Amino acid sequence: MKPATGLPTERSSARRELGGSAAAYALAIATFVLFAWFVVARQRRPFDLTTIAPYWNAIRSGFGLTLWVSFVSLVASTSLGFVVYLLSKSRVRYFRAFTDVFTEIIYGTPLLVMIMIMAFVIGPAFGTTNRAVMGLAGLIVYITPYMTNIFRSAIASIGAEQYMAMDLFGFTPFQRYRYIIVPQVIRILMPPLMNNFSLIIKGSALLNVLSYRELFYEVALMTNNTFRFVEGFLLMWGLYLVITIPLSQLTKWIDRRWGL
Amino acid sequence: MKIEIDRLSHRYDVDVLRDLTLTLDGYKAVAIIGISGSGKSTLLRILSGLERPTAGAVRVNGHDVTNPDYRRSVGFVFQHHALFPHLTLLRNITLILEKTRGYNLGQAEARAMEFLDLLRLSDQAHKLPKNVSGGQAQRGSIARALSLDPEVVFLDEPTSALDPILTFEVLSAITDLRDIGKGFVLVSHVIDFVRSFADYVLYMHEGRIAEHGAPSILDDPGSSELREFMAKVPDCAFK
Repeated sequence: MKPATGLPTERSSARRELGGSAAAYALAIATFVLFAWFVVARQRRPFDLTTIAPYWNAIRSGFGLTLWVSFVSLVASTSLGFVVYLLSKSRVRYFRAFTDVFTEIIYGTPLLVMIMIMAFVIGPAFGTTNRAVMGLAGLIVYITPYMTNIFRSAIASIGAEQYMAMDLFGFTPFQRYRYIIVPQVIRILMPPLMNNFSLIIKGSALLNVLSYRELFYEVALMTNNTFRFVEGFLLMWGLYLVITIPLSQLTKWIDRRWGL
Repeated sequence: MKIEIDRLSHRYDVDVLRDLTLTLDGYKAVAIIGISGSGKSTLLRILSGLERPTAGAVRVNGHDVTNPDYRRSVGFVFQHHALFPHLTLLRNITLILEKTRGYNLGQAEARAMEFLDLLRLSDQAHKLPKNVSGGQAQRGSIARALSLDPEVVFLDEPTSALDPILTFEVLSAITDLRDIGKGFVLVSHVIDFVRSFADYVLYMHEGRIAEHGAPSILDDPGSSELREFMAKVPDCAFK
């Protein structure tokens, strides 16, 4: 619900800024580029990306796998998160308690620990030694309560007055979901969902401990062979940022364009 | 407008309304006033069919308020406009006309524009609620309520979420509607507005109607409760 604003004085009293916003951003970005250049220039060996050229295909496939597992985790944890949300709203007290306890456990667990437990403890208990799959399952389970959370807050943000209004106007339950609830929830959900996607992409780097051949693993492998740590890790860092920064910018854009 | 209240009681955890009986006939605009917790919003909700009373019978223009069909025949304006935030002002109206009243889109748009126009919102029709002022949004929700052709329009503190300038804007708009042939029942804290708009006033105190009558009772209270209330309530200039 939007608070009442709109007195004409509010806009004019905004703090006066020095310099344009675009220029300030260009300067800030330049600061970090300069820092990167400084760090590169301080290395004993000259920076030479061609030294890792033979590994380019491996890095590319690692990058692709990172995107793929992240996407799979996104879809799976969103679905699972919704199921947990439904359980948390269940009339059965046990289900509500179950989701509370589940959430507390996950919130208290480091992602790396979750992945190891899944791959080396829970997996074998169910007769699987496929650590890659169990590791991915660990990532999915880890993100799930965060997904539940955004469903909870998105659905809660539809105020009581709106439900009364729907009641009063005589919408059928189907019409309420189709025209009013779902369209709003989707819009409210998008920004935090994209943030969680970013969280997944970053978290997927930890799958390398299970010899999962994603971006981090491929780059680390390459640096072990070539000792080109600077080129390899900088490139990897850049590749993560190439996904996550546009994603966060897109999130902001969507929120501006579609936010409620 | 005819309102018949017979031995109405309502309770949530405590008694909110205690055994009200009252018949009003021929008034156009009934205002309910009182402090928070006096039961005035609950009474308004029961009169509008939004809430079922715990006990007693209530009829508005002869309709039993617990009848589901009655609910569809009222207009209701909430404290916070309650427009659907993902829809433009226009769509907020046409969606209801189209999906629940059997209009086709063309008819719905024509009708919606007619009422947006009445509330001087034609130029805001295609904006989302977040992109108009709080006063415009509230006027939009009034247009929405009127477009459903209600017999009676209920307004639940329609300006309590607005600053004084927007309050004035919205109350002026409501004042302009006084003679469009609808009944109005409203809860408001703006006493000046109640004085000029209403032709009957109910003063609620601790779940009872402590005093009721023409708006002149505000200037010459007969009960100590209303006298106390009038001494405390801020004199908010309207008009």
